[in-house]
Amino acid sequence: MNSILVLLQKEFTLEFRQKYAIGGVFLYVFSTVFIVYSAFIQIPVTVWNVQFWLIILFAAVNAFLKSFVSENNDKQLYLYQLVSPLAVIISKLIYNLLILLMITGLAFLALVLLAGNPVRDAGLFFLTALVGAAGISIAFTFIAAIASKGSNQATLMAILGFPVIIPILLTIMKLSANALGLIQDTAILSDLGILLGLDALLLSLTLLLFPFLWKD
Amino acid sequence: MSSIKKDWWKWLGVLILTLVILIGLLVPLNPGITQVSPSNAASGTTVSVSANGYNTFFTSAKSIRAWLKLAGDHALGAKSQEIISDNEIIFTFDLPQSLPVDQLYAETALVIDSDIDGAFVRPFALSINQKEVNVELGEQAWSVDKIHELTETNHFRYPFRNILVETIRNTYFHVPLWFGMILLFLGSVIHSIKFLRKPDELSDQKAVGFVSAGVLFGIMGLVTGAIWAKFPWGAFWSWDVKQNMSAICMLIYAAYFVLRQSMTDQDRRARVSAVYNLFAFMAMIPLLFVIPRLTESLHPGNGGNPALGGEDLDNTMRMIFYPAIIGWTLLGVWMAQLKWRTLRIESRLRE
Amino acid sequence: MKKRLFGLAAFLLYTLPMMAQGSTDDFFRSTGKLYVVVAAILAIFIGIVIYLYNLDRKIKNLEKQIKNE
Repeated sequence: MNSILVLLQKEFTLEFRQKYAIGGVFLYVFSTVFIVYSAFIQIPVTVWNVQFWLIILFAAVNAFLKSFVSENNDKQLYLYQLVSPLAVIISKLIYNLLILLMITGLAFLALVLLAGNPVRDAGLFFLTALVGAAGISIAFTFIAAIASKGSNQATLMAILGFPVIIPILLTIMKLSANALGLIQDTAILSDLGILLGLDALLLSLTLLLFPFLWKD
Repeated sequence: MSSIKKDWWKWLGVLILTLVILIGLLVPLNPGITQVSPSNAASGTTVSVSANGYNTFFTSAKSIRAWLKLAGDHALGAKSQEIISDNEIIFTFDLPQSLPVDQLYAETALVIDSDIDGAFVRPFALSINQKEVNVELGEQAWSVDKIHELTETNHFRYPFRNILVETIRNTYFHVPLWFGMILLFLGSVIHSIKFLRKPDELSDQKAVGFVSAGVLFGIMGLVTGAIWAKFPWGAFWSWDVKQNMSAICMLIYAAYFVLRQSMTDQDRRARVSAVYNLFAFMAMIPLLFVIPRLTESLHPGNGGNPALGGEDLDNTMRMIFYPAIIGWTLLGVWMAQLKWRTLRIESRLRE
Repeated sequence: MKKRLFGLAAFLLYTLPMMAQGSTDDFFRSTGKLYVVVAAILAIFIGIVIYLYNLDRKIKNLEKQIKNE
């Protein structure tokens, strides 16, 4: 428990020391929103929905890519001797989730500022955003851990990650279309259940399999 | 001799598949009606309905009876019949003035009973329009004739489905490929788990072999599915959930090979790809079995329509379908084995 | 030999359904769409052949390595 907190603290200190990485992600969010805004002027609600999740998806790939790549081998060896792999992965998961929630909030703010707020059911929307962001961050954290073992990590991460993320993304899009009033659906609860189930499945797989990846 | 004893399962697989292909192609379909014309008529008229039979033997039948059937027990017998050929027959019906429904039209089914072909039905064969609603008169007119003493045949035949017709035989060639694929991936997962518990080159090679055979089965499943879909769905690729998710599932496993290519260190490659294999298998399950059930789909077993439970797979078909799964899976295991044996020789040579 | 085997396979694939249905007047039972089933079986056959071909290439490489040693 203690080591998780220490590792989290390490992540944040590192992040604040090299502000350009996280700054780049924020810049990315704003520029995408701005480009789509200039192209459409009046952004339709369907586009709003798609754009919101695409921003989050690509920002997540960019932000998480370096979460294991920057752990070069010497440091990894050192960490491996000090703390358990579970502490490492849990701290990474928490850190990545916090970053992604920040990106989500930022994307939402940027879209609301430029394109208006089409959200009808705020409770459902934020619940979806929370559960969905958790799913995306778990999936991409684990994929980043796998990709960091190979060469050409960025390509590998895209190839490994996107098929896996599709079921999560489709469920999220359906739920948020509900929250935006685009479709009327009675199966909201079962969709949320599936999203939570996918989160739980990915989380347990990550916790179970990460120790095998870690020992090099 | 010892190789036959040791490899009995390969021969069993080949034997089963030979029988599946032979029986799957040779056993005829039950008789059915492919076309009825005209498709609508007015009440109170005499109408000649021509029916095209499939696998029927009208000319050699001693007695043929036919009815137009409405919902409930209401039916109307044919007044006369004229046999054109084995596959074509014309029935004449005297349609009563009124229908036993409180609507201006009713859909009737055509029921034909022949002493050699047995009884068979064409649903929504003829729709009848009436000018006025008179339920009572209709009830009387449509209760005179009763459908009775239908001939029961006991042939070994596959069911006749109007939109599927002969393509119902693809049940033995398309569906078992997917069952086989899942079983092959399961086999590879078992070897990956073995590897993670006790690192051993052979387990890694076996896992790769099973994945390659599984991916081949998946691709063949997609292709045979597309060929089959062209006929009842109208297009090779309808962007149906099940098709899309199966294609994505193939992408997940294609990534497995990309991942292996990207690593040079033997030990690390085996370990990381074993981890990814477990992950891929678990990610595949919601793709194939959860997501398609949620959305509208044309594919049987999704969006509420039954797959292996309902009418689509009757007892006759089950007798060939289940062995077909075993046969295709055994063939897949054989192909996987060839692959990992080659990999093993390759790694021996490298040493 | 290969050619003759292929011819036999094509003949069997074509005639088996005919024998089953006892009619030769419509090509591959077009009304019943039996050719869909034949096409599916052919697709599977081609898939298996491609797999074997790849394996064959791999084994050829190995044989070359053995010869060189």
